[in-house]
Amino acid sequence: MKQLKRFVRRLTWWTRTGRDEERLRAEIEAHIALQTEDNLRAGLAPNEARRQAVLKFGAVEAMKEDYRDQRGLPFAEAVLRDMRYALRRLRRNPGFTVAVVLTLALGIGATTSIFTLVHAVLMKSLPVADPSELYRVGKEARCCYFGGYSQENELSIFSYELYKHFRDNTQSFAELAAFQASESLMGVRRSGTTEAAQGYPGEFVSGNYFTMFGIRAYAGRLLTARDDQPGAPPVAVMSYRLWQQRYGSDPSLIGAVFTLDNKPYTVVGITPPGFYGDKLRANPPDFFVPLATEPLTGAAGDINQPDQHWLDLIGRIRPGAKPASIEAEMRVELKQWLRSHWGEMSANDRAKFPEQTLFLRPGGSGITSMREEYEHWLQILMVVSAFVLLIVCANVANLMLVRGLERRREISLSMALGAQRRRLMSQALTESLSLALAGGAAGVGIAFAGTGLILHLVFPRVAGLAGVPISASPSPPVLLFAFGVSFIAGLGFGIAPAWMATRVDPIEALRGASRSTTRTASLARKMLVVFQAALSLALLVASGLLTAALHNLQHQNFGFARARRTIIRIDASLVAYPMGQLTTLYQRIQDSLSSVPGVSHVAICQYSPLGVNNWGASVWIDGRPAPGPNDDDSASWDRVTAGYFKAIGTPLMAGRGISRDDTATSQHVAVINEAFAHKFFNHEHPIGKYFAQIGMGTSHEYEVVGIVQDARYFDDFSKPLGPMFFLPEAQHDLLPKTGMDINPGSHNLHDIVIVTRQGAGISGARIRQAMASVDANLPIISIQPLEVQVAGNFRQERLIAQLTSSFGLLSLVLASIGLYGVTAYNVGRRTTEMGVRLALGATPAQVAALIVRGAFVLVGIGLVIGFPLALVAGQFLGSQLYGLNPYDPVVILLAVLTLGITALVASIVPALRASLISPSEALRAE
Amino acid sequence: MGEKNRKKDVLQGTLALMVLKTLDVLGPMHGYGIARRIEQISGDLLAVNQGTLYPVLLKLEQEGSVASEWGASENNRRARFYRLTRQGRKQLQAEKQDWDETAAIIARFFAVRAGDVK
Repeated sequence: MKQLKRFVRRLTWWTRTGRDEERLRAEIEAHIALQTEDNLRAGLAPNEARRQAVLKFGAVEAMKEDYRDQRGLPFAEAVLRDMRYALRRLRRNPGFTVAVVLTLALGIGATTSIFTLVHAVLMKSLPVADPSELYRVGKEARCCYFGGYSQENELSIFSYELYKHFRDNTQSFAELAAFQASESLMGVRRSGTTEAAQGYPGEFVSGNYFTMFGIRAYAGRLLTARDDQPGAPPVAVMSYRLWQQRYGSDPSLIGAVFTLDNKPYTVVGITPPGFYGDKLRANPPDFFVPLATEPLTGAAGDINQPDQHWLDLIGRIRPGAKPASIEAEMRVELKQWLRSHWGEMSANDRAKFPEQTLFLRPGGSGITSMREEYEHWLQILMVVSAFVLLIVCANVANLMLVRGLERRREISLSMALGAQRRRLMSQALTESLSLALAGGAAGVGIAFAGTGLILHLVFPRVAGLAGVPISASPSPPVLLFAFGVSFIAGLGFGIAPAWMATRVDPIEALRGASRSTTRTASLARKMLVVFQAALSLALLVASGLLTAALHNLQHQNFGFARARRTIIRIDASLVAYPMGQLTTLYQRIQDSLSSVPGVSHVAICQYSPLGVNNWGASVWIDGRPAPGPNDDDSASWDRVTAGYFKAIGTPLMAGRGISRDDTATSQHVAVINEAFAHKFFNHEHPIGKYFAQIGMGTSHEYEVVGIVQDARYFDDFSKPLGPMFFLPEAQHDLLPKTGMDINPGSHNLHDIVIVTRQGAGISGARIRQAMASVDANLPIISIQPLEVQVAGNFRQERLIAQLTSSFGLLSLVLASIGLYGVTAYNVGRRTTEMGVRLALGATPAQVAALIVRGAFVLVGIGLVIGFPLALVAGQFLGSQLYGLNPYDPVVILLAVLTLGITALVASIVPALRASLISPSEALRAE
Repeated sequence: MGEKNRKKDVLQGTLALMVLKTLDVLGPMHGYGIARRIEQISGDLLAVNQGTLYPVLLKLEQEGSVASEWGASENNRRARFYRLTRQGRKQLQAEKQDWDETAAIIARFFAVRAGDVK
């Protein structure tokens, strides 16, 4: 305590050096004056009186020195002095300094850049008021629609009615807001202009959405509860981003009318800059519109269906409210609500009623779907970049050791002259830390560029839309991280060399070039090279495994053809195309595109393989009892036009495909895949059998007319191909009693598949022209080769493989520099020995081999150590990436070979130099 | 830390105690007054190096045992006056006790002749 107080005083005193010097001078003067007066009184002559007084006071300078030591912070002053000294020395050796700073910058930059992503995706809260007060109902991020009155494990997605039930009954929430779980585009056009509708991400939110987040409008006003009522004039809030980028911050936009999905909305305000909604996502919403206006836009009217769950809930709890008790309260409310719908519940739902529950979780980060998606990859990248940093540190430590060796004479001389070892060590450490901090500063720059590049690769910009709201520029936590890493790195690579450099005997300076104690340093350098080789092997193997796995993933047989296929994505719902005209529209599109030269086939489907989505259904096979609560009756399905299987290149195994004869009035048919046949028909022959979707009230709906080969539609590559069925576009799933279409949205076909003839190319302009001749207003979302669409599924994997490969390459280069350094140094040290060997009859080749052998022993030991490390890394990666074989012998062999060849290259130059030593000169030099 | 430093530490430690006691007895006093008092009582301890007193005073001030301010000396000279703080008084008491105990033990050691203890 006393020490602390003293330290604080010292700190404050240290900052006012000048005034204290003045005080001391005044005190000394007063002291001597008083003494002089006494001396005068004692009868001394004036001159003598003063002289005696000064004498008695003692050595003023020594006292002042002592006083200063007491007063200031000698430690801090020493650090500053060491710092100046270190900088002076580093300036004197610019080549070394630049090399070290650059190497460090690469290592620290790599780590910091990955940390920037880790921080943004895994740690950061939403930019809203007091995120710690926010709680989300639900644990998992579940997308996007869920029907019925039961959910697996927990309820995490809610219907509008259930939301209102919670909102009105849970008093401990200051605000409980609901918003759309899915990410969707809205067709947007400013009223009164002739421009074509453009797709922007939009989101239905409850009226208290912004109040709940504590967000204020940048301009105009945000939504209120009054906007979110049936019959309220439809209003929308626009993102700051869109307002600024597309409309140049035009203030007249507030109050302007926009059509969103063909319905008029008045824009009443602009969100504040930086606000990106309720979750981190690739394209944040540009429009926020009240939930109550949802029936206006789509035909669906999800808002009125109590069993249609499509909303996420986040609430701000009242100060002092206990989340645990709110959770308990809401569970009771959930049961109450479910009971009130007992009559509408299916037998399945009733059976699952007892286990229905929900969880309240901190919601300050919003809906964390991106976190769930990227968590593992980011962890892998963090480990990989830490490896790179270790290799970098080893390399720099190696350079520092050489530097220490060069300075031995100087250091032993200093010690002979009385310098303390502690002081010399702290000087050496200060030098390391200065280098590390300089490297860190440069590393932040590299991290900025690197993060930008990674973001660009993972989240490619879509023209006109907002990009992912992750900033590459370093935030304070990132800067702190970079500083911490630099500091630790500086200690890491600095301490051993500093200790070794100062472990010299002062007598050495006098003795001359002694080599008695250099052995430890040489051993340390060899160990560092071994360490680097081991880590490099692990990284090389890891990158090899990832690259091989990615290659296998991408080039596996997906059950459809990729070559010569182009996918045009359209969205007729953005312009609210009338349902009755869709079949004609699709036929006209097919005809128009087929007439483009070079095009051999055209077909349209709801979702093309490995695209964005697919619908699921529960299947009831005709002639069997309806499936019970525990029966697995799920299959996914797709709606397609005639000629689809030929266009997508999936072979027909039996029966026929969908044809133009399957019309609205003909028998409803389905084509199933092999997995469907196996799962539902097992040993029976499926063709001619009937089935239906649960909820149709019959099992006699679709006649199976054909079987196609299994093909991969979902990106769940680790799972076997699932059962699928395909329905004709022209036929509607109508309920027998009411004639209501139960799947109207499935007729909004998204993907046009175009097959071009061998050798023929087709331009985007031609496609657009052909599309415009059908309907100029139909928004085209994208045109891309099917190959690119498939590759898009592996964007993360590719990024990881590429990053790990570049990190592996970097580590290889660093390790070979280290090996070269050690080998060259050893050759220099053993010049005499080599000379003697040559003089005694060794051939130059033998001498060269001796040197190369020495290098290979180091690399060999590194391999032995690195091998288990590589296996562990492979095991871990194998658990993360489907299709990765951790024991791939080709990859391991290639990695070992690469390392071996690099070692050979790194050691051959010093070896050649050794073989060219002239014996006579070598002996004379001694 | 060398031999010289250790001696200085001992001297400073003793000096600090003397300074505290002086301020306790005489009340607020300037550096010269303290030096003269110590000189009178301890003989030649400060006869030569009166300046060494100032680092000690500073250390005591940093520790909070004394406080200082400018004032006028008896013959109207501007001098810095030091006074004991409450904490200083406590420290003096504690150190006096320590000192008495140590002195008593040492004294006993010197009083005991070989053969007295079996």
